[in-house]
Amino acid sequence: MIYKSVEDVFNAFDIKNGATLSFHHHLRNGDEVMNQVLKTCLDLDLKNMNLAPSGIFPVHKNLAKMIEEKRVNHLTCNYLNGPSYEAINQSLLQGTFTMHSHGGRARAIKEKDLTIDVAFIAVSACDEKGNATGLEGNNIMGSLGYAIEDSLHAKTVILVTDTILQSINCPQIKSEQVDGVLLLESIGDSKGIVSGTLKITKDPLGLKIARDTMKLLSATNMIQNGVSFQSGAGGISLAITKMFNDYLKHKNLKASFYTGGITSHHVQALKEGLVETLYDVQCFDLDAINSLKDNDNHLFMSAHDYANPNNPDRKIKDLDIVILGATEVDLEFNVNVTTDALNRVMGGSGGHSDTSEDAFLTVIVSPLLKGRMPLIKDKVTTITTEGQFVDVIVTERGISVNPKRKDLLDLLKHSDLNIMSINALQEMAHTLSGKPKPLKRSNDVIGQIENRHGKIIDYLYKKE
Amino acid sequence: MSRSYLFIPGNVPRMLQNMDIYEADALIIDWEDSISINEKDEARDLTNAYLKKMSPSQDLYIRINSEPGLYDEDLNLIKTLNITGVVLPKSDVSTLKKLTEDLKNTSLKIIALIESPHAFFELEKIAEIDCVEALFLGGEDLSSALGAKREALGEALMFARSKIIMAAKAYHKKCIDTPWPTNNESDFYIDLNLSVKLGFDSKACIHPNQVLPINEAFSPSKLIIKEAKKIIAMHKKTGKMRFSLDGKMIDKPIIMRAQSLIKKAIQYNIIKGENDDL
Repeated sequence: MIYKSVEDVFNAFDIKNGATLSFHHHLRNGDEVMNQVLKTCLDLDLKNMNLAPSGIFPVHKNLAKMIEEKRVNHLTCNYLNGPSYEAINQSLLQGTFTMHSHGGRARAIKEKDLTIDVAFIAVSACDEKGNATGLEGNNIMGSLGYAIEDSLHAKTVILVTDTILQSINCPQIKSEQVDGVLLLESIGDSKGIVSGTLKITKDPLGLKIARDTMKLLSATNMIQNGVSFQSGAGGISLAITKMFNDYLKHKNLKASFYTGGITSHHVQALKEGLVETLYDVQCFDLDAINSLKDNDNHLFMSAHDYANPNNPDRKIKDLDIVILGATEVDLEFNVNVTTDALNRVMGGSGGHSDTSEDAFLTVIVSPLLKGRMPLIKDKVTTITTEGQFVDVIVTERGISVNPKRKDLLDLLKHSDLNIMSINALQEMAHTLSGKPKPLKRSNDVIGQIENRHGKIIDYLYKKE
Repeated sequence: MSRSYLFIPGNVPRMLQNMDIYEADALIIDWEDSISINEKDEARDLTNAYLKKMSPSQDLYIRINSEPGLYDEDLNLIKTLNITGVVLPKSDVSTLKKLTEDLKNTSLKIIALIESPHAFFELEKIAEIDCVEALFLGGEDLSSALGAKREALGEALMFARSKIIMAAKAYHKKCIDTPWPTNNESDFYIDLNLSVKLGFDSKACIHPNQVLPINEAFSPSKLIIKEAKKIIAMHKKTGKMRFSLDGKMIDKPIIMRAQSLIKKAIQYNIIKGENDDL
């Protein structure tokens, strides 16, 4: 059945006060689907709604409005950036705000810790039966990896699209799972999927960190035929990805797989035969989308296949190396990518804590000073990833290895790398910047951080 | 012997704070052209504050101002700082002699920045001055003074470069080539290759991303190090200063060049010692 308005869907499926609605974030800051659905909630005066988007972006202004008008009960997501935070910080949410990881969300949905009444799944194209893809249509988004668990386990599944085709080749979501199709004039703007910089950093400090990270990887002897690798879409991570590719080429080696969010730099490695397979849960640019469409070794995967901790076949279980960023790190190697220096939520785990826990080698890369703020705190403002899963911190002034990784410390003992304790690294930062006064915060809890297994590992506190 | 000299503006805290991490062999904190007249005090104060807390392991120079007034204020502070030396802009014999006199009770070295046509007519006398450890071509100011258009192929500065190299080598002083002023990578590499081919010992730069290519270009290659090691090994084995090796005649200057090359390779961390495998 094809519906022509959000309200028609609400009427047809009897969406009422207290329902749990889910959304995915593959269109990132170009998404209009959540806004349009929530506008209908506002128009219909719905209250006590539970919302479970996988990611929240600045574009999602109607979510902020819903929270401000006290229409939202529980809210969960894996990432939050934008005006919704301000409303959450004012304690206007009626229920609980919970931040998951990508793998944790997939687990929670599959194991019914998170029950979804209606999943509104933006797709770039589908057929009338409900077979759907992210690879064709007006607003292509590539992999629909984060929406698959929603499509399999939500009580009602509504595809939302602006393009209906006669048939869909190799659908990512199959019609058997789908209860209806909502045809809108536009689902948003796929240009908004571009994440972060997506350009290799030219900052000499970032490049120095990238070079030292490559020296570290080389010194561990882990870059061999069959190595598996994941890196993010930030400028330093992309520089490392390029250097990693160059290293493979120079040594005539081939990686087994790259995983996670895929960019043109990962695609280039596949084209050059430097890696066997790309496992793609999320496309970060047009090159990645086109490659997913055309290259048989560029494979789509769901968040469950990617990172669900209770899936014994999850891809990151076999991940050798992951490169990740940090807003803050502490002396216990805990990492924060959720809140900023002023204790405002501006991100979230995404796959950070999933990959850290599973990868053999987890490397955090970051400048030692961010502006004048030292990276290394006595205690992070918010724990996103627990220190027990973090192996190495690479900064421009030195590298710290988690003392629990005695194997790495032994391996690097005779290297030329500037290895030092995390306390020494912190002291070095304080020599340059002075020791900042601890941030005053209230004791009012506005949210909680759940690890991928469903355990609460930290709380978010109201910013004064 | 430094391969790379990185300029850092003295009034930018983030750049001062990070200047030691870019792997340049030598650093030049600039108080002159990159600092506007109303920011000169700020540059001095920031540099002073930085050097009270940090002491980079690299050779550290400060490019002072040559204008009277600014020059005196700069020198008053310079004498209290723990640095290697001073870069004197628009150097000529008279300004260098004055600076030598002004620094006579210090151990500070002088790099003479040669950037006026006038200085080229007294280059030999400049190179003769004891405290001058290096001649440094200031390509941008010189091009402007000449009305020449500077391009990567280097025609505009060919005479100036050759003359500086001749004078420096004749008086056993270091010669430092001018920075390439833009971020255009291919032009930078053309300019850098020219510096090496002509015989400069080192090159200055204003962008940290140019440091590593400069270091690499001025480092002996692995092949050359291997040949030098063979020459030294044969010299040690035979005890002779003249012998034949792989069909080539080897004599004293070649042995000495090989020894100096191995010394450089050790200094630049390419090898750990004379017997280290490549």
